[in-house]
Amino acid sequence: MTPTWLPRRAAAPEPGTGAGPDPDREAATEPGTEADPDREAATEPGTEADPDPEAATGPGTGTAAAAGPATGTAPGDAEAAGDAPAGTGGPKGRLRRAALASAVAVLVLGGCGFFYAAHQLRSQAPARNHALTDAEATTRVAGDVGDALARIFSYTPDGTAAAERSASAVLDGRAARQYETLFARVRDDLTEQRVTLSTRAVRTGVIELDGDRARLLVFLDQTSHRGDAKGTGTGKGKADTGATTAAAQLTVTARLDDDRWRIVDIKAR
Amino acid sequence: MERAVRLLDAGRSRPLPALALALTLVAGGFAAWAGQDWYRAAHDERAGYAAQRDAALSAGEQAVQNLNTLDHRELDRGLDLWESSTTGELHEQLADGREEFAAQVKEAKTVSTARVLSGAVTELDDRAGRARVLVALRVTVEAADGAKSDKDSRMLGELTWTDGRWKLSALGQAPVGGTSTG
Repeated sequence: MTPTWLPRRAAAPEPGTGAGPDPDREAATEPGTEADPDREAATEPGTEADPDPEAATGPGTGTAAAAGPATGTAPGDAEAAGDAPAGTGGPKGRLRRAALASAVAVLVLGGCGFFYAAHQLRSQAPARNHALTDAEATTRVAGDVGDALARIFSYTPDGTAAAERSASAVLDGRAARQYETLFARVRDDLTEQRVTLSTRAVRTGVIELDGDRARLLVFLDQTSHRGDAKGTGTGKGKADTGATTAAAQLTVTARLDDDRWRIVDIKAR
Repeated sequence: MERAVRLLDAGRSRPLPALALALTLVAGGFAAWAGQDWYRAAHDERAGYAAQRDAALSAGEQAVQNLNTLDHRELDRGLDLWESSTTGELHEQLADGREEFAAQVKEAKTVSTARVLSGAVTELDDRAGRARVLVALRVTVEAADGAKSDKDSRMLGELTWTDGRWKLSALGQAPVGGTSTG
């Protein structure tokens, strides 16, 4: 088969014949594939596919002896054979490269799609809010905030300083200013009327917890005693015995600062 | 000859592998990683839990608001809403006391309107279908003579997952001054 094929291939360079449908040759070079290196080579002379080296490919791989006389133009058989793969590789390799590139593109696009979808899922509002889903953090912020409120809103007539000290430790931002304003207004009255206030967080619910910010709903019980807590009668006609308990509902905004939750805003509800 | 061509094919594909293979592997690796990341996100128990939490909260707030809203001119509608918002014991109580209560409200001619100020879920067991909520509520009651009064209340509600949604199974005021711990 090789001998009959070789001469013909050598003669092929004439234009026109190369492009002509030659069942024999077709079958020989490209059994059953869609790309036709021959025709390509013939129609695009001067590009990477060069008819001459192409002719040498057959012998180059197997019959080096036959290659010499057949090509004649190629000075080094080894060279010709070496180039040949690239020559035939052009069209088919291009196809393969295209397939590979599209496969890579599909993979990358698919990956991006998944990545985006995952991001979408994670950034949805319910998922971002870690209230209850992060049980440990939820318990912690609820405990910290409840304690803080209890401390800053509990005082004895002589001990407002302690409450204010706590306040400076656990309050920040707007809440600190609110507290100062409030205390400046009532401090004197408190001492004068001998008010004892004890505050307790009855229920604390975390509305929202997102990293270092949290919003909570807190139900407080505030029990106040007027007069001396011991009940020895201070001469103020009214109710040293009476303890009144008031209910308060607050929404509190807290921020995690140096691993400590500090209250930055308090709103009475 | 076919054999020769095959051999050529094999020889020709040699320049491709190094870069192309690496590229394909990287792309494949990225796709696989992103795929499993997405899968994890989609099947994240936390996300499902978070969604349940939000569903429980909005259902709880709505139910608490429903149960504190009643217009004597639209008693049936209001009381139907009460019953559809509740389940279990609370539902039975409401259904049992319906006639009596309706008569009372009809006589008093009051219109109560509730507004939820804030709410939070404090407990959620999505497997058992139970949740507890805190709701701060403002109820405006308009008496027969048109006088309006606001009352703030703090409610504790318990929700039970029934018929594919959260319904209120218990509701009460948070006790004030229960046990004083100082």
